[in-house]
Amino acid sequence: MTLTAAAPLAPFANEPLLELRRGAERTALTQALADLDAHLPLRAPVIVDGAERGGLPRRSVDPGRPERVLARAGDASAEDAAAAVAAARRAFPAWSATPAAERAAVLVRAAARLRDRRYELAALILRETAKPWPEADADVAEAIDFLEYYARQAVALAEPRELVHVTGERNTMTYAARGVAAVIAPWNFPLAIPGGMVAAALVTGNTVVLKPSEQAPACAAALYDALRGAGLPAGALHLLPGGDEPARALVVHPHVHTIAFTGSSAAGRDILRKAADVVPGQHHLKRVVCEMGGKNVVIVDADADVDEVVPALLHSAFAFAGQKCSAAARVLVHADRYDALAERLAGAVATLEVGEASVFGVDVPAVIDPEAVERIARYTAMAHADGTVLAQAPLPAAASAAGGTYVAPLLVAGLPADCPLLHEEVFGPLLTIEPVASVDAACDIVDASPFALTGGLFSRSPATVAHVAARTPVGSLYVNREITGARVGRHPFGGNRLSGGGTKAGGPDYLLAFVEGRVVVENTVRHGMVV
Amino acid sequence: MPPVATPTAPAGPVPAEGDPAPPPPAVAGVEAAIPAIGTRLAKAMGRHHDPRAAIEARMMDRIADRPDLRAAIFRLVDVRPACRDYPDIAEHLAALLDEVAGRPPEGPVRSGDLPGGELPVPLGLARSLARRHGSRTLVGVAGAAGVRAMAGRFIAGEDAADALPAVRRLWKDGIATSVDLLGEATVSEAEADAYRDRCIEVLRTLSAGSARFPARPLLEHDQHGELPRVNLSVKVSALTPHLRAGAPGRGAASAAPRLREILRVARDLHAHVHVDMESLDHREAVRDLTLSLLAEPEFAAGPSAGIVHQAYLTDAAAELEVLLGWARRTPRAQPLSIRLVKGAYWDHEVVEAQQAGWTVPVFTDRRACDREYERLTDTLLDHADLVRPLIASHNLRSVAHAIAAQRARGLEPDAVEYQVLRGLGDPLAAALAAEGLRVRTYCPIGDLVAGMAYLVRRLLENTANDSFLRAHASGTALDRLLEAP
Repeated sequence: MTLTAAAPLAPFANEPLLELRRGAERTALTQALADLDAHLPLRAPVIVDGAERGGLPRRSVDPGRPERVLARAGDASAEDAAAAVAAARRAFPAWSATPAAERAAVLVRAAARLRDRRYELAALILRETAKPWPEADADVAEAIDFLEYYARQAVALAEPRELVHVTGERNTMTYAARGVAAVIAPWNFPLAIPGGMVAAALVTGNTVVLKPSEQAPACAAALYDALRGAGLPAGALHLLPGGDEPARALVVHPHVHTIAFTGSSAAGRDILRKAADVVPGQHHLKRVVCEMGGKNVVIVDADADVDEVVPALLHSAFAFAGQKCSAAARVLVHADRYDALAERLAGAVATLEVGEASVFGVDVPAVIDPEAVERIARYTAMAHADGTVLAQAPLPAAASAAGGTYVAPLLVAGLPADCPLLHEEVFGPLLTIEPVASVDAACDIVDASPFALTGGLFSRSPATVAHVAARTPVGSLYVNREITGARVGRHPFGGNRLSGGGTKAGGPDYLLAFVEGRVVVENTVRHGMVV
Repeated sequence: MPPVATPTAPAGPVPAEGDPAPPPPAVAGVEAAIPAIGTRLAKAMGRHHDPRAAIEARMMDRIADRPDLRAAIFRLVDVRPACRDYPDIAEHLAALLDEVAGRPPEGPVRSGDLPGGELPVPLGLARSLARRHGSRTLVGVAGAAGVRAMAGRFIAGEDAADALPAVRRLWKDGIATSVDLLGEATVSEAEADAYRDRCIEVLRTLSAGSARFPARPLLEHDQHGELPRVNLSVKVSALTPHLRAGAPGRGAASAAPRLREILRVARDLHAHVHVDMESLDHREAVRDLTLSLLAEPEFAAGPSAGIVHQAYLTDAAAELEVLLGWARRTPRAQPLSIRLVKGAYWDHEVVEAQQAGWTVPVFTDRRACDREYERLTDTLLDHADLVRPLIASHNLRSVAHAIAAQRARGLEPDAVEYQVLRGLGDPLAAALAAEGLRVRTYCPIGDLVAGMAYLVRRLLENTANDSFLRAHASGTALDRLLEAP
C-alpha cells in the first residue's frame, strides 16, 4: 500500500464519550455485545511480518463467567520474540525514513477504524476484562485519543528545533527514531494503554514488537488490525500474545532499543535492572519508559464539601473494582470531618452494586482472575484482623454462582500505621480511611510514601490548594474531583518516584522518550567569507 | 454508528438556534395583548418592591460585571457551612479575595468598571482586616451575617413548623405555596429513608396547620376539580443513592418504594406531590419513575401529582409529547400537573456536555429558549382539558404571553397556575394575585448548610448576564423586556 501525505490535521479534540444517559446508546451497546457473543471465540495469534506463527493454545476468558472463552490466543516463545525483533529491525530503515506526516496519517486512519468499531470494541473490552460499560467506552475513546494526539505531536516534533545562531555556522537539531521498541502492556486498559505506547513508538519512526497481557490478547489483536488496516507496513508492528517468556526475551534482546512498559512495580524494576546490562551485539543503551503502581491518597480538609467528596471517592476507589493504577486507596481526613465522612462513606459503600459488567449501572465487576482474588483476600484478612471494617457491599449470589471472580468492596478504618494494607498496592476494591490532625500531617504521610502516581485533595481554600500542590510529589494531583479518568491532552498521566519514570502519557513531552536528538553543526565560512 | 436519540423522544422538529421564530399557533390577538398585560404586571410589581431586595439587587448587579468577584463571593457562600468558626470564615474570604486581587477579571471591562484585579473598597478593606489577628473575627461575623441574610431571602424556615407562618401569610394574600425540602445529597439508604420521613412529616405538619386557613376559592379549584392546599415538591435524587446516568432503571427502582409511601400519605391527606426535575442525566429516571407510579391502580383516585418540564432542552417539544401521550393513556381522577420551567441546570448541562464532547442539550441562545418556552406554553394550554398547566417563570414577557394565551383561548382564570420562587419572584407573585390569577410560590425549607447548593444556584441565576431579573433590576426599558423573543 502506498502512503500518501495527509492534509494538515485539525487541532486535537478528545473523542466524545458515549452519552450513556441516552437509551439508544445503551441499546446499541447491548446489541454489539450480543453480536460479539455470537462470534466467540475470537482469534489472537502470534503475528510476525504479517504472518501467523504457531497455534492457538491459550485462552482468554470473561472474568465474570470464566466458561465464556473470549479468544483462542497464541503462545509466543523466545524464538518468536527473536524473529519479531529481527523482522522489526529489517523494517526499521524504511519506516523511520517515512515522512512524519505519513506516519501520522496511518495513526489517524487507525483512529478512524477504531471509531467505526466503537460499540464492538467496548463490548470486547467489557467481555475480556469485565470492564463495565462507562469504563470500557472510555478505554476505546482513550485509544482513539492517543492515536490522534500523538499523530499531531509527531508532526510538530519533526520540525527542527530552535537553536542559538551565530554568523558563520548553521546549527540544526532534529529527533530521530531510536530503533526497535518492545511494548509490554497490561490488561486493565487493554486497548488504550497498548494503543498509546505502540502509537507513540510507531509515529516517531520506531518499529514495534507488542507483547500484550495474557488476559487481554483479543483487545491487542483488534489494535493490531486497526493499525495494519490503516496502511501500517507488516514489518513495522509484530504481535506476541503469550506469557512471560516473550516479554523476558524482549527485555534482554540486544536489538531492542526502547522498552515501554506499564504494569506492576516489581516487574518494572526487574525490567530496569535487566535493561541496564549491555549484552553482546548491543550497541546502544536501552531506554525504559515505565509506568508502575501506586498507593494513591486523597486528602480531605475540614472545609471540604462532603456531598461532593463521597461520590468522588466512591467512584475513584471502586469503579472497575479499583483495578486502575490511578484508583484511590487511602483517604486522610481532617479530624474535624472524620466522623461525618466515615459514616456517610460507609453508608455509600454499602450501596455499591457488585455484578456482571454488562449490566448498566453495575459499580463493581469481577476482578481479573483467581490470582487477583487471592491477593485481595490477603488484604481483606488484614483488614478484619488489624482494623475495623466500616462497610462491605454485598456479593450477589447469582454472580458468584457463575464462577466469576468477585470480591466484596470494603471500607476499612483503625489500621495500625505500619499495616501493609496502608502502604502496599492492593489493586482491588479496598479503601482505607484515617483521621489526620491537619493537611500538613496528611502531606507528611504522602511524602513518606515511595509511590507518587496520583493524589486527591478536597479543600475550598485557594491557599490550601496551592500549598498542597507545592508539597505533593505525585504525578497528577486532582483537586475537588475524582482522581481517575485522565483524558489525553488535558491530563497528562504518569507517576513519579517508584511509580514510574516520570514520563507523562498523553502529554506534550511523551514522544521525546521514543526519539534521540541529533545535532548538526555546519561551518559555513569559506576562505574567511561567510557563504 | 446508531442514532443517538432516546427511544422515547421521537425525532421531532428541533428548532435551530437563532432561526427566526416560526409563526405562533393561530390564536388571535395574543401578541397584541402582551404589552398591556406586561405593563400592568410591572406596575403592580413596583408596588410590592422590597427595599432590602433592591439594595441586594444593586449589589448583585455590580458584582455581576466582575466574574472573578462573583466567583469569590459564591465560593465564600459555598464554603461558609463548612467553616469551623468566624476566623476560619475570614481566612477563607481573604484567600478567595487574594485570588481575585492576583489576577485580572475574566469578563469584559466596561467604562466605569473597576480596573482588573482591583477590589471594591469594602472588600479590599475586608481582605486586609481578615489578615490581622485583632479584626479577623469581626470580618468573619460580617461574612457570616451576609451569607445568612442572603439565605434567609430564599429559604422560608428551618422546618415545616418554622415555615408555617410564612406559608399562612402568603395564603392570606392569595398566594399558594409548594414546599421543598433542602438537604444534603443522599449517598446512603439511611439518608434516603430520612428524606422520605421528612417529606411525610412535612405533609402532616402542613396538613394540620393549613386546615384552618381561610377559604381562597381561586387557589382551591380549577377546571378539573378541587386543588389541595398542601403542596410538596420532592427530589428523586434525595430519595435514592442509586441514581446513575447510564442506568435510569436502577435509581428509579430504588426510589420507587419511598416515593410510593409519600404518595400514599399525600393521597390520604389530600395533599399534592410534585416531583422536581433535575439534570438531564436523570430525566429518564425521574420521568419513568413518576409516570409509572402514578399509573398504579392504588393512585388512580389520587393524590394530585405533577412533574416538571424543562423548556431549555432542545428536545423539549418531543419530551412534552411523551408526557401528554402518557396523560391520554392514563386517565386519573387528578390529572397530571405539568410545571413548565426554563430549567435551572443550564451551566451543568453545558459544562458536562463540553467536557464529554457531547452536543450541548440546551439552548445556548436565550431568545431561542424564550421562544421555545412560549411554544410549549401554547401546547400546554391547548391541553388544559387533559393536564394542569403550571407556568413557572420570572420572565415578564413569558408570563404576559401565557396570560394573553390563556385569555385568548377563553380559559377560566383558575385554569392555569403561575409559579414563582421565593426570594426571586415575590413582587411578581403579588402582581399575578392582583391580576386575579392563581399563583404559587416555591418555598424551600431547611438549614443553612443544607440550603447552600440551592442558594448558590439561585444566586448564579439571578446574576447571570442574560438573566431577565437582572435586566429588569438594572432598568432595561419595559417595552424592550416585553418584545417578542
